[in-house]
Amino acid sequence: MSNLEKYIEAFTTTFDIKPEQTSGLKYQDIEAWDSVGHMGLVAAIEDAFEIMLDADDIVDLSSFEKGQEILKKYNVEM
Amino acid sequence: MAEYQTLTNLGPIEIQQYQQNRFPCFFIDLIEEAVPGKSARGYKNFTYNEWFFPAHFEDEPNVPGFVQIETMAQVFLMTFLTIPENKGKKAAAVTSKAQFKKKIVPGDKLEIKAELYSYSRGLARGKSVGYLNGEVTCSVELTVAIPDIMNSFIPKAD
Repeated sequence: MSNLEKYIEAFTTTFDIKPEQTSGLKYQDIEAWDSVGHMGLVAAIEDAFEIMLDADDIVDLSSFEKGQEILKKYNVEM
Repeated sequence: MAEYQTLTNLGPIEIQQYQQNRFPCFFIDLIEEAVPGKSARGYKNFTYNEWFFPAHFEDEPNVPGFVQIETMAQVFLMTFLTIPENKGKKAAAVTSKAQFKKKIVPGDKLEIKAELYSYSRGLARGKSVGYLNGEVTCSVELTVAIPDIMNSFIPKAD
Protein backbone atom coordinates (compact mmCIF):
# COMPACT_ATOMS: atom_id res chain seq x y z
CA MET A 1 0.00 0.00 0.00
CA SER A 2 1.43 3.41 -0.96
CA ASN A 3 1.73 6.26 1.55
CA LEU A 4 -1.08 8.10 -0.22
CA GLU A 5 -3.35 5.06 0.03
CA LYS A 6 -2.52 4.70 3.73
CA TYR A 7 -3.23 8.39 4.27
CA ILE A 8 -6.57 8.20 2.47
CA GLU A 9 -7.46 5.09 4.43
CA ALA A 10 -6.90 6.94 7.72
CA PHE A 11 -9.64 9.38 6.65
CA THR A 12 -12.06 6.83 5.17
CA THR A 13 -11.83 4.50 8.16
CA THR A 14 -12.03 7.21 10.81
CA PHE A 15 -14.88 9.15 9.23
CA ASP A 16 -16.64 6.33 7.37
CA ILE A 17 -16.45 8.15 4.05
CA LYS A 18 -15.47 7.17 0.50
CA PRO A 19 -11.97 7.88 -0.90
CA GLU A 20 -13.43 10.35 -3.41
CA GLN A 21 -14.74 12.47 -0.52
CA THR A 22 -11.29 13.12 0.93
CA SER A 23 -9.95 15.67 -1.56
CA GLY A 24 -10.57 19.20 -0.29
CA LEU A 25 -12.04 17.94 2.98
CA LYS A 26 -11.66 20.37 5.90
CA TYR A 27 -12.16 20.15 9.67
CA GLN A 28 -15.89 20.31 10.50
CA ASP A 29 -16.92 19.93 6.81
CA ILE A 30 -18.62 16.69 7.83
CA GLU A 31 -20.27 15.70 11.10
CA ALA A 32 -17.72 12.97 11.79
CA TRP A 33 -14.75 15.37 11.67
CA ASP A 34 -15.49 17.10 14.96
CA SER A 35 -13.18 17.45 17.96
CA VAL A 36 -13.44 13.77 18.92
CA GLY A 37 -13.17 12.67 15.28
CA HIS A 38 -10.02 14.78 15.00
CA MET A 39 -8.41 12.78 17.81
CA GLY A 40 -9.38 9.56 16.02
CA LEU A 41 -7.88 10.81 12.75
CA VAL A 42 -4.62 11.78 14.45
CA ALA A 43 -4.40 8.33 16.07
CA ALA A 44 -5.10 6.63 12.71
CA ILE A 45 -2.40 8.66 10.93
CA GLU A 46 0.11 8.02 13.72
CA ASP A 47 -0.60 4.29 13.59
CA ALA A 48 -0.43 4.17 9.78
CA PHE A 49 2.99 5.83 9.59
CA GLU A 50 4.36 4.84 13.01
CA ILE A 51 5.01 8.45 13.99
CA MET A 52 4.03 10.75 16.85
CA LEU A 53 2.73 14.14 15.73
CA ASP A 54 3.73 17.29 17.62
CA ALA A 55 0.95 19.23 19.32
CA ASP A 56 1.33 22.18 16.91
CA ASP A 57 0.99 19.86 13.91
CA ILE A 58 -2.15 18.28 15.35
CA VAL A 59 -3.71 21.74 15.66
CA ASP A 60 -2.57 22.66 12.12
CA LEU A 61 -4.00 19.49 10.59
CA SER A 62 -7.16 21.25 9.47
CA SER A 63 -7.65 19.73 6.02
CA PHE A 64 -6.81 16.67 3.93
CA GLU A 65 -4.22 18.65 1.95
CA LYS A 66 -2.71 20.34 5.02
CA GLY A 67 -2.11 16.92 6.54
CA GLN A 68 -0.09 15.86 3.48
CA GLU A 69 2.08 18.95 3.91
CA ILE A 70 2.62 18.27 7.61
CA LEU A 71 3.59 14.64 7.00
CA LYS A 72 6.53 15.77 4.83
CA LYS A 73 8.15 16.99 8.07
CA TYR A 74 8.01 13.38 9.25
CA ASN A 75 9.62 12.11 6.03
CA VAL A 76 6.32 10.75 4.75
CA GLU A 77 6.21 11.62 1.05
CA MET A 78 3.08 10.96 -1.04
CA MET B 1 2.13 5.15 29.04
CA ALA B 2 4.17 5.90 32.16
CA GLU B 3 3.68 3.75 35.27
CA TYR B 4 2.15 5.45 38.30
CA GLN B 5 1.61 4.34 41.86
CA THR B 6 -1.52 2.25 42.48
CA LEU B 7 -4.04 3.94 44.78
CA THR B 8 -6.07 1.97 47.31
CA ASN B 9 -9.09 2.55 49.54
CA LEU B 10 -10.04 6.05 48.45
CA GLY B 11 -13.10 7.29 50.32
CA PRO B 12 -15.58 9.91 49.06
CA ILE B 13 -13.52 12.91 50.20
CA GLU B 14 -10.38 11.63 48.47
CA ILE B 15 -12.28 10.60 45.32
CA GLN B 16 -13.64 14.14 45.03
CA GLN B 17 -10.09 15.43 44.84
CA TYR B 18 -9.76 13.55 41.56
CA GLN B 19 -13.15 14.31 39.95
CA GLN B 20 -15.60 17.20 40.10
CA ASN B 21 -18.84 15.24 40.60
CA ARG B 22 -20.65 16.31 43.77
CA PHE B 23 -23.87 15.46 45.63
CA PRO B 24 -26.52 14.80 44.39
CA CYS B 25 -24.61 13.54 41.35
CA PHE B 26 -21.76 11.80 43.13
CA PHE B 27 -22.19 8.03 43.21
CA ILE B 28 -19.13 6.24 44.56
CA ASP B 29 -18.65 5.09 48.16
CA LEU B 30 -15.18 3.63 47.85
CA ILE B 31 -12.50 3.07 45.26
CA GLU B 32 -10.80 -0.09 46.42
CA GLU B 33 -8.05 0.15 43.83
CA ALA B 34 -7.12 2.51 41.02
CA VAL B 35 -4.22 1.79 38.71
CA PRO B 36 -3.65 5.11 36.92
CA GLY B 37 -3.81 4.70 33.15
CA LYS B 38 -5.17 1.15 33.44
CA SER B 39 -8.09 0.24 35.70
CA ALA B 40 -10.24 1.02 38.73
CA ARG B 41 -12.41 -0.99 41.09
CA GLY B 42 -14.97 0.37 43.53
CA TYR B 43 -18.52 0.17 44.83
CA LYS B 44 -21.70 2.03 45.65
CA ASN B 45 -24.20 1.01 48.34
CA PHE B 46 -27.74 2.01 47.36
CA THR B 47 -29.90 2.70 50.42
CA TYR B 48 -33.54 3.75 50.41
CA ASN B 49 -32.39 7.24 51.42
CA GLU B 50 -31.15 7.92 47.87
CA TRP B 51 -32.96 10.98 46.47
CA PHE B 52 -34.28 9.15 43.40
CA PHE B 53 -35.93 6.13 45.01
CA PRO B 54 -39.17 7.85 46.08
CA ALA B 55 -39.62 9.01 42.48
CA HIS B 56 -38.40 5.90 40.65
CA PHE B 57 -40.78 4.34 41.57
CA GLU B 58 -43.00 4.98 44.56
CA ASP B 59 -44.31 1.40 44.65
CA GLU B 60 -41.22 -0.31 43.23
CA PRO B 61 -38.01 1.61 44.00
CA ASN B 62 -35.08 0.78 41.72
CA VAL B 63 -31.99 2.58 40.46
CA PRO B 64 -32.68 4.56 37.26
CA GLY B 65 -30.59 3.64 34.22
CA PHE B 66 -28.95 7.06 34.03
CA VAL B 67 -27.74 6.68 37.63
CA GLN B 68 -26.30 3.25 36.82
CA ILE B 69 -24.45 4.71 33.82
CA GLU B 70 -23.20 7.66 35.87
CA THR B 71 -22.05 5.39 38.70
CA MET B 72 -20.11 3.17 36.31
CA ALA B 73 -18.73 6.24 34.52
CA GLN B 74 -17.48 7.75 37.78
CA VAL B 75 -15.47 4.61 38.54
CA PHE B 76 -14.17 4.73 34.95
CA LEU B 77 -13.03 8.34 35.51
CA MET B 78 -10.69 7.05 38.20
CA THR B 79 -8.71 5.14 35.55
CA PHE B 80 -7.40 8.36 33.98
CA LEU B 81 -8.13 11.25 36.38
CA THR B 82 -5.65 9.52 38.69
CA ILE B 83 -2.87 10.25 36.18
CA PRO B 84 -1.15 13.09 38.07
CA GLU B 85 -1.55 15.79 35.38
CA ASN B 86 -5.30 15.02 35.07
CA LYS B 87 -6.14 15.15 38.77
CA GLY B 88 -9.25 17.21 39.51
CA LYS B 89 -10.03 18.08 35.91
CA LYS B 90 -13.58 18.26 34.60
CA ALA B 91 -14.54 15.34 32.36
CA ALA B 92 -17.36 15.14 29.82
CA ALA B 93 -18.96 12.01 28.38
CA VAL B 94 -18.81 11.85 24.59
CA THR B 95 -20.38 8.45 23.88
CA SER B 96 -21.90 5.70 25.99
CA LYS B 97 -23.34 2.34 25.08
CA ALA B 98 -25.02 0.71 28.06
CA GLN B 99 -26.66 -2.60 28.88
CA PHE B 100 -28.91 -3.33 31.86
CA LYS B 101 -29.54 -6.91 32.88
CA LYS B 102 -31.07 -6.75 36.34
CA LYS B 103 -32.90 -4.30 38.59
CA ILE B 104 -30.87 -2.67 41.36
CA VAL B 105 -32.97 -2.06 44.47
CA PRO B 106 -32.51 -0.48 47.93
CA GLY B 107 -29.99 -2.47 49.94
CA ASP B 108 -27.94 -3.55 46.93
CA LYS B 109 -24.19 -3.10 46.76
CA LEU B 110 -23.06 -2.43 43.19
CA GLU B 111 -19.45 -3.43 42.63
CA ILE B 112 -17.82 -1.90 39.58
CA LYS B 113 -14.74 -2.77 37.59
CA ALA B 114 -13.51 -0.30 34.98
CA GLU B 115 -10.88 -0.77 32.34
CA LEU B 116 -9.18 1.94 30.29
CA TYR B 117 -8.64 0.82 26.69
CA SER B 118 -6.82 3.97 25.61
CA TYR B 119 -6.01 7.46 26.79
CA SER B 120 -4.42 10.07 24.63
CA ARG B 121 -4.50 13.88 24.54
CA GLY B 122 -7.53 14.22 26.78
CA LEU B 123 -9.65 11.46 25.26
CA ALA B 124 -10.32 8.24 27.16
CA ARG B 125 -12.01 5.08 25.89
CA GLY B 126 -12.95 2.08 27.95
CA LYS B 127 -15.52 -0.06 29.68
CA SER B 128 -17.14 -0.31 33.09
CA VAL B 129 -19.03 -3.34 34.39
CA GLY B 130 -21.36 -3.48 37.41
CA TYR B 131 -21.85 -6.62 39.53
CA LEU B 132 -24.37 -7.64 42.19
CA ASN B 133 -23.12 -10.59 44.24
CA GLY B 134 -20.59 -11.39 41.54
CA GLU B 135 -23.14 -11.42 38.71
CA VAL B 136 -22.98 -8.91 35.85
CA THR B 137 -25.84 -6.45 36.32
CA CYS B 138 -24.99 -3.61 33.96
CA SER B 139 -22.19 -2.44 31.71
CA VAL B 140 -21.23 0.56 29.64
CA GLU B 141 -18.68 1.32 26.95
CA LEU B 142 -17.53 4.90 27.25
CA THR B 143 -15.67 7.66 25.50
CA VAL B 144 -14.92 10.52 27.88
CA ALA B 145 -13.07 13.75 27.15
CA ILE B 146 -11.16 16.14 29.35
CA PRO B 147 -12.17 19.27 27.42
CA ASP B 148 -9.36 21.40 28.93
CA ILE B 149 -6.78 19.09 27.40
CA MET B 150 -8.51 17.84 24.24
CA ASN B 151 -9.46 21.33 23.07
CA SER B 152 -5.82 22.37 22.98
CA PHE B 153 -5.34 19.93 20.07
CA ILE B 154 -8.28 21.04 17.96
CA PRO B 155 -7.79 23.03 14.72
CA LYS B 156 -8.66 26.68 15.15
CA ALA B 157 -11.55 28.14 13.17
CA ASP B 158 -10.45 30.08 10.05
